[in-house]
Amino acid sequence: MNSNYIISSADRILVTGSNGFIGAKVVEILLEYGFTNLRCFVRPSSKLDRLQKILAQYPAGKTAEIVAGDLLSREDCRRAAAGVSVVYHLAAGMEKSFAGAFMNSAIATRNLMDAFLEQGSVARFVNVSSFAVYSNLKMARGALLDETCALEDAPQERHDAYCFGKLKQEELVRQYGEQRKLPYVILRPGAVFGPGKRSLSGRVGIDTFGFFIHLGGGNQLPLTYVDNCAEAIVLAGLKPGVDGEIFNVVDDELLTSSEFLRAYKQRAKSFFSIRVPFFIANALCGAWEDFSKKRQGQLPPVFNRRRAAAEWKGNRYTNQKLHDRLGWKPRVNMGNAMAAFLSQYDQPAT
Amino acid sequence: MLNTNIKTLRVAIIGCGKIADQHVLACRRIPGTEVVALCDREILMASQLGERFGIAACFADAAEMLRTARPEVVHITTPPQGHFTLAKQCLEAGSHVYLEKPFTVTAPEAEELIRLAESRGLKITAGHNLQFTLEMLEMRRLVAQDFLGGKPVHLESHFSYDLGDASYVGPLLGNRNHWVRQLPGQLLHNILSHGIAKLCPFLDDQLVEVVASAHQSAQLQRIGGEEILDELRVLIRDASGTTAFFCFSTQLKPGMNHLRICGPVNSISVDHASGTVIRHIKRSYKSYLTYFVPPLKNAKQHFRNACLNVSSFLKGRLHQDSGMKELVDCFYQSIRNQSAPPIPYREILLTARLMDEIFAQIYQGKPAVRALPARSTTTPVQTP
Repeated sequence: MNSNYIISSADRILVTGSNGFIGAKVVEILLEYGFTNLRCFVRPSSKLDRLQKILAQYPAGKTAEIVAGDLLSREDCRRAAAGVSVVYHLAAGMEKSFAGAFMNSAIATRNLMDAFLEQGSVARFVNVSSFAVYSNLKMARGALLDETCALEDAPQERHDAYCFGKLKQEELVRQYGEQRKLPYVILRPGAVFGPGKRSLSGRVGIDTFGFFIHLGGGNQLPLTYVDNCAEAIVLAGLKPGVDGEIFNVVDDELLTSSEFLRAYKQRAKSFFSIRVPFFIANALCGAWEDFSKKRQGQLPPVFNRRRAAAEWKGNRYTNQKLHDRLGWKPRVNMGNAMAAFLSQYDQPAT
Repeated sequence: MLNTNIKTLRVAIIGCGKIADQHVLACRRIPGTEVVALCDREILMASQLGERFGIAACFADAAEMLRTARPEVVHITTPPQGHFTLAKQCLEAGSHVYLEKPFTVTAPEAEELIRLAESRGLKITAGHNLQFTLEMLEMRRLVAQDFLGGKPVHLESHFSYDLGDASYVGPLLGNRNHWVRQLPGQLLHNILSHGIAKLCPFLDDQLVEVVASAHQSAQLQRIGGEEILDELRVLIRDASGTTAFFCFSTQLKPGMNHLRICGPVNSISVDHASGTVIRHIKRSYKSYLTYFVPPLKNAKQHFRNACLNVSSFLKGRLHQDSGMKELVDCFYQSIRNQSAPPIPYREILLTARLMDEIFAQIYQGKPAVRALPARSTTTPVQTP
């Protein structure tokens, strides 16, 4: 156990979304680091196979608490936060409606922060956000996207409820940091991939119209392998001197969309795809958006300029801050990460 | 025809959850309407809606909102448990009320609200927007022209819901305190009214038989449905002999949202999923022609429906929310013109009574039990 951490191995740690794709890995790394007092918060309807399998591998996992509840319930939040020093907040609202995304991201986070602050032993609140909060509408193609870049200022126009929920969640966390002295760190992972997540990132392309349209082309993808991402999250809750900081999470070696798609087609499944260059995609998205506005939402504005920019315009990415401030290094290199990701397709989906 | 006393109708929304977006969007498509205030017990919910639609007046308290914003119409889009109290409060404050479905939790509450609205000269309506889609409007036009040739002999309404939509069912299953679980009819209570309301224009107030049978699907059982019932069949007979069959299912694939009205002369089928109206006309053909001609005539009708839908789309009439916009528009017109509300109160009450009856039968008035086996209640019940 590193003595430079802000908590000791026996301090209680809460992980929300602990049965999720990233959350379960966060639990595993915390156990591997030697933390012995974990509380895993799960939805009552969750199937806990993934989490239980991990807990069973470590002696401290056998005594880890599993608390089932709803973060929209203040009472459940109090139960979850009682006696906790560090919160890793990974539970996310994946709803398609703006109200649903807001409720399950922002309101749930507000409830959790209130409960955390009420109980006194507050060391850090790690808020896991997303790259989705950025807007690169006004950035040049290929420009460097880092933690200082502009955030989306019109999520409604982007028709992106997830982005809206995450933006509002971050806003509340920053507000609690300023007004109620909540020690927080915000992480914004890029496209997280790994075994357990079989779908292709929307940054590569879409299959909305019955065939795959490859829109990412030669763009670099902001990839982060699930183990690497989880370790960044864990470190954000432990390292001293990073309160109030924001970290983008991407791996060291990044693939282009074409490289990723080629590897996927070779190993996972072969399918027909058409590559559409950004200028055409952007023009079509713009036409769709204009039609939608003119016809008062007769076609929902699912394709629009903001989305085209955010997903397919293409940027370069940096993880320098992650290296410098958290001492993070990827535990799995891109070659091994891709091999592990693609190996899941050798088995049929369960 | 517009009553010039009301230039712009001032609208408020109480309850800023998922459905509230649709209400704001529908209101915005109706000229002479302005959403002036939003209210939610959780002020952050009101603020997020206000921020996205540029509505500054956000409230956490309905009384304060009514006092400050003085809306002419209030849309209540909260969970149904709040409908009665909030609607009463709005009516007492002098506002017309649009209540999302289900109208109220019980029929007596519905009766009281309608009485109150009438006594104060105000209008109230239920969010049975599926009755106002383009295909339903076409069906009504045909019925008004006596296409059926008399009172319907038999009605069939199918309504299905896909449990695969985990964003709705997930939180509901995971939380025994979820508001849907607190309703007398649970999951069915929140979804059923669309399918039942479609039958009510054609049924007498006096029902002589209502037989409800419900069970839990294997799929819901697998995902931990506890006491929730999700497969319902209902047989109804009114005093003049019109019968109706209602089917709610989470298992029918592809999903069905369908109404068939069988008249003494002709019949009509309305399919919401494809927005089509098929006329079944009484004709006879000689010999094998009965196998050749009717399918061709049906094909012609389907082709005509497709053309109409394309035309409606191009003209901007076919909209994802055509039903809600049409209903809201008709409701506002009834306020401005002081004419009859778009959904007769008789139909709202009959829907509420039927739902009460169904839930009383399938849950037998007892507290819900865990690990519910497939069960059937087939006792005929007479409603006065």
